[in-house]
Amino acid sequence: MMTITRPQVEAELLKFVGADAYIHSEATSFVFVRNFKIKLTHAYIAGEGPFRAALRFDGHGWLRMEALTHYEVDGNSRLLLAGYDDRGRMNVALHLGKEPFAE
Amino acid sequence: MNKFDQAPVRKLLAVFAHPDDESFICGGTLAKYASEGVDITLVSATRGEMGRRMGNPPYLNRETMAAAREMELRQACASLGIRHLIFLNIRDKTVEFTDADRLTARIEDLIHQVDPDVVLTFHETLGGHPDHCAIGKATTAALRGTGHRGALYFITFGDAMERPERFGFTRGDITKVDVHAHLEAKLAAFRAHRCQTEIDEWVWLPDQEAMTRFGRHEYFMKGNREAAARLRHDLF
Ligand SMILES: [Zn+2]
Repeated sequence: MMTITRPQVEAELLKFVGADAYIHSEATSFVFVRNFKIKLTHAYIAGEGPFRAALRFDGHGWLRMEALTHYEVDGNSRLLLAGYDDRGRMNVALHLGKEPFAE
Repeated sequence: MNKFDQAPVRKLLAVFAHPDDESFICGGTLAKYASEGVDITLVSATRGEMGRRMGNPPYLNRETMAAAREMELRQACASLGIRHLIFLNIRDKTVEFTDADRLTARIEDLIHQVDPDVVLTFHETLGGHPDHCAIGKATTAALRGTGHRGALYFITFGDAMERPERFGFTRGDITKVDVHAHLEAKLAAFRAHRCQTEIDEWVWLPDQEAMTRFGRHEYFMKGNREAAARLRHDLF
């Protein structure tokens, strides 16, 4: 995982806009969703670090997350965004893929 | 062949929820019995892939975690002397939501295969985590369902059961295993679970200093009549 730079992540997010995407999203231990399938219409990233991201989908949907610090495009062309604290614990994650994530 | 060679191999089946349960909770006991030649089979319901600790500094993400923790568990098993490792491939944090009858049936099959003298699992209400309680409940039901003669014990945390009366139990309900000769193996297993323990500075202190954090004993609650019939300081 690399530290987020906004232009890079913005460009990576744009690659998913206009098509179906599978989403993994979680926030601390309280919630996770895995393999939500959405038709992504807009994707945003904001802030100076840590960063905020938002997705608009299916004509009426919102997904917004904050506290994002790191990103990676993995070997399967999936965009992985995550927020770690200063001791390596993951607070939040937002992953986008063209195929379902492993169950 | 001498008498020792002819003695039947003693077998232990441990059915837990996550990679690290075996090391953090009862690693000394597993190392002790492995060193005595006990054939140990560890079942982990999940790969711990929903853990929050990703290394310090972090070297994992949610998608790489399952494979990394599997490797770390294999290394921990090598440190403790556990010979067989089986995953049930349930997603971390979802054990309580899988079909209970099917889960119990899978564990019954494992009990038939392994034919254990001792079964370790979590207590179904005192397990401390929903995955722990769910796998404990299924394992307890499975052992009862098979009618197998293995002695059932529930693993407990730290030295809480040094005073079992505080939890409504008596000393007779508890088996207290002396693990002081196996703390090096336990420490090696802690370190094998690197992504989980890097955050804890004490684990990485010089060995002698780190081992002072471990208790001399590990405690088990007797879970069936076979266990109740056995000695107070030995699971077998
Ligand atoms: Zn656990």
